Amino acid sequence: MAGMRSVPSWLQEKIPPPAPQAAARRSSRRGFLEKTLHAITEALKNEIFSESLASRPGLLQGLDPRAKLVTILFLIGIAGVLHHIFSLVLLNLWLFWLAKSSRIPIGTFAKRVWVVVPLFTGIVVFPTLFNVVRPGTPLLVLFHLSLPVKLGYWTIPHEVAITKEGVTAAVLLILRVGASVSLAVLLTLTTRWNTLLKALSVLRIPPVFLTVLEMTYRYIFLLLHTSSDMFMARRSRLVGRANPREERRFVTSAMGNLWGKTAALSEEVHGAMLSRGYAGLPKSLLRFEMKRSDWVWMVLVFIIAILFVGGDRVLG
Amino acid sequence: MHIPDGYLSPSTCVSFGIVMIPVWVAAARKVRNWLKSRYVPLMAIGAAFSFTIMMYNVPIPGGTTAHAVGGGLLAVVLGPWATMICVTIALAIQALLFGDGGIWTFTANCFNMALVLPFIAYGGYRLISGKRDLNAKRRWVGAAVGAYLGINAAALCAGVELGLQPILFHTANGVPLYCPYPLSVAVPAMLFAHLVLAGPLEAVVTALVVRYLQSYNVDLLNIQALSAASAPATPVSYRKFWWALGVLIVLSPLGLLASGTAWGEWGAEELQKMLGFIPSGMQRLADTWSHAPFGDYSLPGFESFWSAAIIYILCAIIGVGTISLLTYLFWRFQLAESKGQN
Repeated sequence: MAGMRSVPSWLQEKIPPPAPQAAARRSSRRGFLEKTLHAITEALKNEIFSESLASRPGLLQGLDPRAKLVTILFLIGIAGVLHHIFSLVLLNLWLFWLAKSSRIPIGTFAKRVWVVVPLFTGIVVFPTLFNVVRPGTPLLVLFHLSLPVKLGYWTIPHEVAITKEGVTAAVLLILRVGASVSLAVLLTLTTRWNTLLKALSVLRIPPVFLTVLEMTYRYIFLLLHTSSDMFMARRSRLVGRANPREERRFVTSAMGNLWGKTAALSEEVHGAMLSRGYAGLPKSLLRFEMKRSDWVWMVLVFIIAILFVGGDRVLG
Repeated sequence: MHIPDGYLSPSTCVSFGIVMIPVWVAAARKVRNWLKSRYVPLMAIGAAFSFTIMMYNVPIPGGTTAHAVGGGLLAVVLGPWATMICVTIALAIQALLFGDGGIWTFTANCFNMALVLPFIAYGGYRLISGKRDLNAKRRWVGAAVGAYLGINAAALCAGVELGLQPILFHTANGVPLYCPYPLSVAVPAMLFAHLVLAGPLEAVVTALVVRYLQSYNVDLLNIQALSAASAPATPVSYRKFWWALGVLIVLSPLGLLASGTAWGEWGAEELQKMLGFIPSGMQRLADTWSHAPFGDYSLPGFESFWSAAIIYILCAIIGVGTISLLTYLFWRFQLAESKGQN
């Protein structure tokens, strides 16, 4: 994976496996400490990876972040209005092409979208395929029952089948969610977070909210670090297995403790801001400039959207 | 409980946006009046806290672990209005940075988790704890009950939102366009999971954290009063909080009780207005929908299957070709322009 090269190697390391005797007893469950530590490491790794992609030269990276944000929001809306499977397939193909032109490793992109979406959305829509859940025209009859069975609210028809409507609805939803997730991934992977935040001002979000968002982003990493330290300290002192009751108490105490730190920290930060002359709103050094290509891009996206919606209408 | 993009129709998301905008403005104003300049750091670090504790895995009976949301906990320590801002910001970061929850559905997610959850949780907490001492048993019991009620109210709202989709948005022959489950499936599914699993977890976590704070740093439980006392600003009158509770009573049951028919009626009527927001007009689309997407695939028309397939393939070639060409041309144009600038 070429894209992983710029992620520091220490972040790519998996958390070392537990001692042999622990591994033998481990069965399917991993301790809550390891799980939390793993989640925190993943969040940090993900962030560094996105930053490295956002600084590559590529189609979406070259756009003004405001133009990019507006067009991507618009396209997610378009993905929402398309009603035909075929036009959604086309939209997804185009998004692949956009990812490729933005030098996002296709493997990473496909994994983030087309492994995760069919898995989760697929599980959600699976029951809707059958006429037990929604009546419809049978496409594939699975088995016959001698009589319709009534189970309280539900009625199982005597012919259990996968329905045409069920399959169509499931495919539609998976494609639509896939397109929306692709667009969100394209936006976040090709834009630095602080640039993206500044770009949000184009949506008329009050600057105070943006300041808060920006500070939140910074303190998330501090608090994640603090949490990681707390969990690591606990893990390194733990011999054998604590009972779940005790573990729950530890996690909730950690939350309470973190809240104490949070409150104290916010007081200190407030003092620091006041002493540096904070009077309401900070000034930003970041300036955006709309180039000619940004305007062309917006027009282009608009034309493509018309093509999609028009094609959708013709097909439907 | 995060609803991803694609499960709700764009018009649903827009109408939740219309509901949320005045609520956000009210929350921002209230919290700013109360905290003055302390507002920015406290909200920022509070949101970071909210985000971080959502990552904690909590061991649950049965040997697995689960996540707590922590919205009820925040409502207890920060009050519902400030919690609303913190959770909104945490949700924004999750949606934009980690792809958790959708970008268009952000408005609906905020309605469930930033508005309904903290207000119901806080209402339950205040109802039980009243004006008891901060160390009282009723405080943590109230916090637990509030958190339980809050998360279930949010789950109910999410269930109703999802369940309305197939009723409001489907093709002429009944294929649902967004979430395929009707109210009779979506609401029980969401509620069951939250009444039995997520709700009790939330309640236990909230109770344990409140008890921890009671025994180690009781002042942190009342950060609202603390900030108000230390701020030189005019003291916050509790009347405002009672007004807030009044708004809670008016607002939250709207989404809570009015499931089923009432919401359906409202939706059908409102749909007329909503349609104006979609450039191509959903209604016209529904009217012009003459056949099912798979209509030509029906058995007797085997020939029409092939002709349809050929048309599809032709469309694909032309469509993909045009769009790829346009994109490619744009890319060249962009490269040329950036070279020209250097």
